[in-house]
Amino acid sequence: MKAPRTTIRRKLVTAMMLTSTTVLLLVGAVFVAHDVVSFRRLLVQALITRANILAANSTAALAFRNPEDAGQILAALKTDPRMIAAALYDQKGRLFATYPASVPPGTVPPASGPIGHRFEKSDLVVSQPVAEEGQSLGTLYLKSDLKELDDRLRVDAMVVLLAVLGSIVVAFAFSTWLQRRIAQPILTLANVARNVSEHKDYSLRAKGAGDDEVGVLAGAFDEMLSEIQQRDKEIRQLNVDLERRVNARTAELEGANKELEAFSYSVSHDLRAPLRHIDGFVELLAKHAGPSLDEKGRRHLATISTAAQRMGALIDDLLVFSRMGRSEMRKTSVDLAALTEEVVQELKADAGNRCVEWKLGKLPTVQGDPSMLRLVLVNLLANALKYSGPKEAARIEVEAQSQNGELIVSVRDNGVGFDPTYSHKLFGVFQRLHGSDEFEGTGIGLANVRRIVSRHGGRTWADGTINEGATFYFSLPK
Amino acid sequence: MPVLVLRIPILALLLTLILATPSVAGTKLTHEYDLKAAFMFHFAQFVEWPREALPEKTTPFTIGILGEDPFGKSLDEIVANEEVDGHKLLVRRFQHVNQTDSCQILFISPSEGSRLDQILTHLNRRSILTVGDTKDFALRSGIIGFVISDKRLRLAVNLAAANAAGLTISSKLLRQSQIVGPARVQE
Repeated sequence: MKAPRTTIRRKLVTAMMLTSTTVLLLVGAVFVAHDVVSFRRLLVQALITRANILAANSTAALAFRNPEDAGQILAALKTDPRMIAAALYDQKGRLFATYPASVPPGTVPPASGPIGHRFEKSDLVVSQPVAEEGQSLGTLYLKSDLKELDDRLRVDAMVVLLAVLGSIVVAFAFSTWLQRRIAQPILTLANVARNVSEHKDYSLRAKGAGDDEVGVLAGAFDEMLSEIQQRDKEIRQLNVDLERRVNARTAELEGANKELEAFSYSVSHDLRAPLRHIDGFVELLAKHAGPSLDEKGRRHLATISTAAQRMGALIDDLLVFSRMGRSEMRKTSVDLAALTEEVVQELKADAGNRCVEWKLGKLPTVQGDPSMLRLVLVNLLANALKYSGPKEAARIEVEAQSQNGELIVSVRDNGVGFDPTYSHKLFGVFQRLHGSDEFEGTGIGLANVRRIVSRHGGRTWADGTINEGATFYFSLPK
Repeated sequence: MPVLVLRIPILALLLTLILATPSVAGTKLTHEYDLKAAFMFHFAQFVEWPREALPEKTTPFTIGILGEDPFGKSLDEIVANEEVDGHKLLVRRFQHVNQTDSCQILFISPSEGSRLDQILTHLNRRSILTVGDTKDFALRSGIIGFVISDKRLRLAVNLAAANAAGLTISSKLLRQSQIVGPARVQE
């Protein structure tokens, strides 16, 4: 759970600022528009009032044809810089007097226009009737500039701008304070969630998240955490229980196994003595009574002797097997290459004049019990030699390779092979896939191999095809 | 046909005036009386009469001419269809001051110059605005006199006389006028 790219704080502040600024600008625009409109109305009203006063003052001047006096009355306008021009027209609409006294042509109309007011470009123009006692005497024309309106607009804009700027500052401060109130519980919740997911610490709680929806969320979150914590505790408890039980069972099993081994050792050991007696006495009997026996009797004696010797070999092997399970391991560095070479030399002597091609790959030095590993190699190589016997040109390869942190040694032959369906039975005690009349052996060799390799912490397996050879593997941890 | 009879001396007078002052064109004189007629009409707006002078709405507002009429048709034309404060305007011509009681404005023709003081005395304290263009008309207790100065028609007002007649003259009119007679109005 990584930190979010845009924080909820910034979003909140942005939203509030946008809203308030927009509203302020809208209000400001409405204010300016309203002010300008009402100020225009005010300007018109003021100009009309002024025109009415001037008109009332200039009635006699018009009635009694006194343009000088009319000019003087109009000249009073010079105190107001906004007044551009003024004109009086007599009853017949002819120009009677002007302000300023001499106006440039085009400043005032040559004849009176319609009564009323209108905006002309940057000017405001008013025409008012001049009358005394209801008697129309002429028309007054007044022209004022709108600089005041421009100034007003400028001031309004400035006021609105300042107000907006000031409000933005206030709104920012306010929204910062507000967003903290809104965002803090969410941030706390997010923080707790992040810590929980990063450290798997289910004892954390997001309490104190306020009384709104976030508070409800935090409450639900805390409840979930409690539940998870409870379950976590239960699972741990169960695991501990389970481990304890496994340990207890393992100890029981180990005890039983030891007992069994001790039993089989003593049985094997005790079986040897009577067997030696049988063998010894059969030999004595053959010496003593052999010449007096007929051919059949002598053959029976020979069979008993052979069987006794086979049984002796069998018991010897069993003793070795049981010793392998009991004896202490002495781990040292073992040069597998030298050991293999040694074993091969021994086997070559046994092989007589058979044609066997030995291929030894590059073998490393490993940690292990030398005599035990020697037994493994002897068993595997002797098996390979034995089961490749029927082949005219036997080939036996020994290789080693590293894989997944362990060393895998393989012994391959091109002998009779085996049915892969039964490969799982190969490493059991007394398990044989071929009859003893075909290949001699006690059926304990591979069981010994498995026992030794597993005591070294490795595994054993094999694959093969009938009449195409077999490969036996064992692994040793590095 | 008394009007026609009256007209002949006016024409004669005009002719003599043209001949006497060659710089002033004859049209200028008719123009002068057109202007005076217009002024006479406007007096009605700038002077206030006491209520008793025109008690009823139906009473016409009368502008009278005493003596020979120098206006010709111009006064009648100006006044035609006009009203003053709801009263119809009426122009009447008189030969004798005794007939002029119903007037609000009375023009005393130059033809009456010799009898002017007499006439004015007769009209004393009546609510009649006396107007004339005789020399020093206002100084001689006429209320408003026409004066020509700088080739312009000006007014001379005798405030004491106006006050005695119970008339209130608008300050606007006074602004256009020269005040003559006693400086302070005497009650």
